[in-house]
Amino acid sequence: MSSHREAPEISKDPVADSTDVYAFVSPDRPDTVTLIANYIPLQGPAGGPNFYSFGDDVLYEIHIDNDGNGQDNLTYAFRFQTKLRDPNTFLYNTGPILSLDSPNWNSRQFYSVTRSQHGKSVVIGENLPCPPCNIGPLSTPHYATLANEAVHGIANGIKVFAGQRAEGFYVDLGSIFDLANLRPFEELHAQYGMHVFSKPADGVNATAQLNVHSIALQIPTSELLRPGKHGEADPASVIGVWTTASRQRVTVWDDWQGENLNAGPFRQVSRLGNPLFNEVLIPLGSKDLWNSLPPTDDKRFASYVAHPELAGLLPALYPDVFPNLEKLVKAGTARADLEAILLTGIPSDIVKGFQNYTGPEQADMLRLNTAIKPSKKPNALGVIGGDLAGFPNGRRVFDDVVTIELRAIAGVTVPLVDKTYKPDAAAGAITDGLTAKSVPGGYLDNFPYLGVPHSGFSTP
Amino acid sequence: MSAQSHPEPTEGPSRRTMLRGAGAVGAVGIAAAVGVGAAGGAAAAATRPAADDRAAAGAEHSAVAAGAPLVVYLRDAASGELDVFSGTSHTVIRDPALVARLTHAVR
Repeated sequence: MSSHREAPEISKDPVADSTDVYAFVSPDRPDTVTLIANYIPLQGPAGGPNFYSFGDDVLYEIHIDNDGNGQDNLTYAFRFQTKLRDPNTFLYNTGPILSLDSPNWNSRQFYSVTRSQHGKSVVIGENLPCPPCNIGPLSTPHYATLANEAVHGIANGIKVFAGQRAEGFYVDLGSIFDLANLRPFEELHAQYGMHVFSKPADGVNATAQLNVHSIALQIPTSELLRPGKHGEADPASVIGVWTTASRQRVTVWDDWQGENLNAGPFRQVSRLGNPLFNEVLIPLGSKDLWNSLPPTDDKRFASYVAHPELAGLLPALYPDVFPNLEKLVKAGTARADLEAILLTGIPSDIVKGFQNYTGPEQADMLRLNTAIKPSKKPNALGVIGGDLAGFPNGRRVFDDVVTIELRAIAGVTVPLVDKTYKPDAAAGAITDGLTAKSVPGGYLDNFPYLGVPHSGFSTP
Repeated sequence: MSAQSHPEPTEGPSRRTMLRGAGAVGAVGIAAAVGVGAAGGAAAAATRPAADDRAAAGAEHSAVAAGAPLVVYLRDAASGELDVFSGTSHTVIRDPALVARLTHAVR
């Protein structure tokens, strides 16, 4: 998955487990950038009576680097607090929840937003209510309207939302984690001699009826950029974005209080910039270490980008389908195309009319050239589909990052750095068989863009 | 401020080992609502904030005074050093005598 349960330790800590990061110029407010960090993966919508909520003991942050050194120049931090109206009922709600201050809503969550810049931290939002989870027609009868009340305007024209959303990331987990099977091409898989598949099949979206928790900001672009010229070709137009979750160093079960006790400074336990970076590129034994480090340490992991394990597996699992990729891997050629896409950004003169280069510092950040206007006719394949406003120029909620990264690893982006390389025909065709239409509820046209969460009643 | 800007010292215990250590009854980790007095007298020799946590160290005494729990973690008895956590601070105390008493107490 993008980053759901991607590392051994964080997979045991869902409230701190980042799943996806999005960064894009807001299509309906193009003078702003929308940043979204998702947490708490694979939520079954009916998961009551203690429906999902952010961790009161977790420090969530969205970081922005605007000068290319892999360090944050600007950070938005989020802390949550759960409040019970009545601790003497087992119920999440005791009647329909018709407003965010409904007396029927027992377990509510509130949060603060703190902006840190130039060594100073300022609280720019306090006591902001989250929406409830989407339970069903009796408990949350007007959910979309109710959730919209949880879009808050705070300082400097910033909008913020924190709460449950429908999962917008689509992926065929069931097949991909079955030894990199891709249903549309499964008859070509070596199948370990078992001859299980004899014809192609459609992809299955494993996340189609699941929810996540989103932290979303819509920020005036001018607040995010360093001084300078801000045209499409100007380095000062590019930002790098990532999210982190941190916990205090000590947790002790306090059996007098019947709850965890936390102490000590916060330490990072989860990180996410580009989709699938930790999930697919970083080996199992290093994933939790990677999660604990800042992007400036990513040069330590650059070899896994230059020589991705999956590039070697594809020719082995799909015999005779990727002969050119196989030669490339056997030659030990470092993948400068992937290093550019994921670690430095793409310099000018590689893709006509496009750059999101942040300099030589290798750091996994989602890089967005904020000067590139939103597409009127978006292509979910982003830059490799000819749409410069999509991934890897930031990431929109509907971008098909699984297909994009599969094709890139399969070699379709090698000619960006080596004109003599001819990608295999399959490299430009492979997919897990899903598109944005595989997301049943679709997306919203406006903030927070991710769809209304599935209700427990309709998705038991 | 960002937790990102205070990287974990490589020699220090990770969060995961802390969780395991704190959760294991046999480990020499103690939690006390007000326990710093006993340690403080014997530990007058050397008390220093961990290098990465100096910014937060000033908050410790106020956090303890406000009734916040204080957690002491002994990772390596041979070092004679104790990690003391309270509020959002982390202080390293070097006190071989206290370490000896603690290890003796849990035998």
